[in-house]
Amino acid sequence: MVDATLAAIAQPAQTDPEAALRARRQPLARRRYALEIRQHMGWRRQALVLAAALLAGLAISAAILVAAGVPANELANEFVMQTFFDGQNLRAVLFQAAPMVLVGLAGSLAFRARFWNLGLEGQMIWGAIGATAVSMWQIGPEPLRLPLMFAAAIGCGLLWVLGPAWLKIRLGVNEIISTLMLNYMAANFLLHLVYGSWKDPKDNFPYSPQFRAFERLPELGAGVSSAIALAAVVALFAWWLVGLSRAGLYLRFVDANPRVAHANGVPVRRTIYGAVLLSGAMAGLAGLAVAAGQEGRLTQAFYQGYGFSGILIAFLARNNPLAATVVALLVAALFVTGRSLQVFYQVPFSMVQLIQAIIVVCVAASDFFIRHRLRRVGAEAVQ
Amino acid sequence: MPNALQLTGIRKSFDGFAALTDAHFEARWGEVHALLGENGAGKSSLMNIAAGLYAPEAGQLLVDDNLVHFAGPRDAARHRIGMVHQHFKLVRPFTVAQNILLTAPAPAEFQSHGERLREISRDIRNKASELGFEIDPSKRIDALSIAEQQRVEILKVLLAGARILILDEPTAVLTDQEAARLLQTVRGLARGGSAVVLVTHKMADVKTYADRVTVMRGGRTVATLEPGATSVAELVKLTVGESVATQGFEPAKSPRGPVRLTVRGLRSAASPEGRRVLDGVDLELHAGEIYGLAGVGGNGQGELAGAIMGLPDAGGPLEGEIHLSGHGDLKAMPAPERRNVGIATIPADRYGLALAGSLSVAENYAIGRVHTGRYGPAWHLRRRRIQDDTQEAVRAFDVLGVRSVAQKAALLSGGNAQKLVLAREFGKAPSLVLAHSPSRGLDVRASAEVHARLRAARDGGAAVLLISEDLDEVLQLADRVGVMTRGRIAGEFAQPADRQAIGQAMVDHG
Repeated sequence: MVDATLAAIAQPAQTDPEAALRARRQPLARRRYALEIRQHMGWRRQALVLAAALLAGLAISAAILVAAGVPANELANEFVMQTFFDGQNLRAVLFQAAPMVLVGLAGSLAFRARFWNLGLEGQMIWGAIGATAVSMWQIGPEPLRLPLMFAAAIGCGLLWVLGPAWLKIRLGVNEIISTLMLNYMAANFLLHLVYGSWKDPKDNFPYSPQFRAFERLPELGAGVSSAIALAAVVALFAWWLVGLSRAGLYLRFVDANPRVAHANGVPVRRTIYGAVLLSGAMAGLAGLAVAAGQEGRLTQAFYQGYGFSGILIAFLARNNPLAATVVALLVAALFVTGRSLQVFYQVPFSMVQLIQAIIVVCVAASDFFIRHRLRRVGAEAVQ
Repeated sequence: MPNALQLTGIRKSFDGFAALTDAHFEARWGEVHALLGENGAGKSSLMNIAAGLYAPEAGQLLVDDNLVHFAGPRDAARHRIGMVHQHFKLVRPFTVAQNILLTAPAPAEFQSHGERLREISRDIRNKASELGFEIDPSKRIDALSIAEQQRVEILKVLLAGARILILDEPTAVLTDQEAARLLQTVRGLARGGSAVVLVTHKMADVKTYADRVTVMRGGRTVATLEPGATSVAELVKLTVGESVATQGFEPAKSPRGPVRLTVRGLRSAASPEGRRVLDGVDLELHAGEIYGLAGVGGNGQGELAGAIMGLPDAGGPLEGEIHLSGHGDLKAMPAPERRNVGIATIPADRYGLALAGSLSVAENYAIGRVHTGRYGPAWHLRRRRIQDDTQEAVRAFDVLGVRSVAQKAALLSGGNAQKLVLAREFGKAPSLVLAHSPSRGLDVRASAEVHARLRAARDGGAAVLLISEDLDEVLQLADRVGVMTRGRIAGEFAQPADRQAIGQAMVDHG
């Protein structure tokens, strides 16, 4: 017997204790449903529950969009056909998805070590600054330039999260605060750069000079940037790391119970450092993916929204790297669709955010059905 | 005497596993009624139903001969049923008073929180002295020993107004004297008119303190008897279904070896009041012997175990030394390294230190050996081999209830979870074994298996440090017995030891 001791009855709470007592003393004729903790659910059924939640969220969103004036028969067309089967839109989705995948992976890796890295944006900014510095100062010969930018992005993202990681592990400083605050420092430093010494001398706009052709992520062909390939490689790496390597096992123990992990010889600190620093590095790469893959320069607001998206993606994917990749693609598709809805049906962009929120709430609620089971209790139980 | 609590024809299953198939139980007002059974017999499940934590799938629950239906523990409390669980339900960073306030009935008229807290603290002190012990209501739960936490649990249900008191394995964590006192106390409560249900598997407790006993086996009620008219052998037979010989002390087969572990002057940091949890522990442990450390809970045993295990929160920096022969001072050795040098640990807190309940049986097994490279290099986990090894270990150590090694460790019953820990820790012959209350909450058969493993480790040349609050266990196993009081070893006894003298040393605070 396991001592999962919480279980409640899904009967509406009766506020009046006297009435409740009376009601209970009488033999109950009506059906009762018992809500119990479910110990275990197979992953297939879990996936099914998740898919059902996703569908429910989409259905509610569709209803809202129809209410907002989008013709119902156009919805499927807009959502599915236009997004995934139209070449240009599909490219737009992949274009949008690359940094999303990277921040989603960054989030899920840190969260697996119970480290709430809310500094994804700050690390992203530093990743982009690092890459841009290599370009600005023309470090290294041409063929090595892009690899050096990669190294700089990884290094800078990693260093930006090193402080909070150290503070948390050594001194117990809450990482939620420290990483969040460091975002503001990074953002303001970015403004300092693009309004100051790194301003493009050509037109005096607040962004860095354009990267040269060899400093940008090359195209894979058909208008698809190699940024998505980078994201795929990182996703595979993360999948291998958490699923197939020894560090992944350590990480599962740190996630499940750090004290048990420590007592069983898991190098808890090193595991946390490793996961968190990799998270920072991935966020740094996301910065590079935007700067060298999308914008071709360092701009002042490129990072906005990615921090939230990363957390969202990690949450929806339950910190599973492959799921994070799929979810990031869906979120990117939602953005692209939202933008076209905005253009064609004058739907405000906040509607897109609303849809995002509805889907998140549905998936979060589905957790309940994974952890609990509703079962009818036989009438003889209460005679 | 009229019936206080009746359960009839109770059925309950968890995830397809039938925990209770046809369970009956009744307790009368004014009696101590023992509920006896092995681990997994369904005692706790049945009592959790009585306490409103689980809803039965079939069967009836009557209080005072009235049919009742509980929608939760709150309803049970309204019917004056209170349960003290084996694994305590206390909020660790809260104080004693705050914890008790959580379940105490609301006051008749308005009181400020401060007043309320003062009043409840007064009630706690009064009730505690009524029951014959002292407790500081302003102390935090995590600063209390397990035995003290249990007292808080008992106070909690009593102050919530319970008259039907269910105690789940209450003596598992107590010393003889403490257990005797506790059982006398609950007997007093019964004589005062309450109904007390004593869930246990200790025959001695049943014989001495219970008015009636109900025996459960495999989710069913086997019999309800008068312990006075029944022999222990008969009870054991009903419980396990067959006779299990109780083992006496077995000395080591070969003479003990050289000193393996030396603890010298081990002291933990002083509290603001100048008290040290570890206050100069001196201890020598030889290869090939079991050293049993007895003592009342909360005298530094947990901290000593933590220091040897290398837990980060073993009470701040330690003075003195823990010397492992051939490997130097253990204090400087990181926890992962300790495993490499052959230290096997069986912590008291199974799901707090030994097993990650949310991870699989295989993962929990593999974590002990993965660093050796047996399961592949750092970049590759050989999952097939982990599965095979786990399956083999599960068979070899007779871990029951494992349908698949991919199932969560939390699904194992107490005894089987402990066997899984043993399988992992004893997979490779250890050089030093630290066993802290290794048979806490286990039934006769599982305890016997645990004890056999510890003896086997000793006979294989390991130095075994057995820390236990169960004097029977210490006397059965240990070649030498030490008594820990107030953070130091107050006395050492050679076997065969005088039980009375040891008991005296435990309570002497000299």
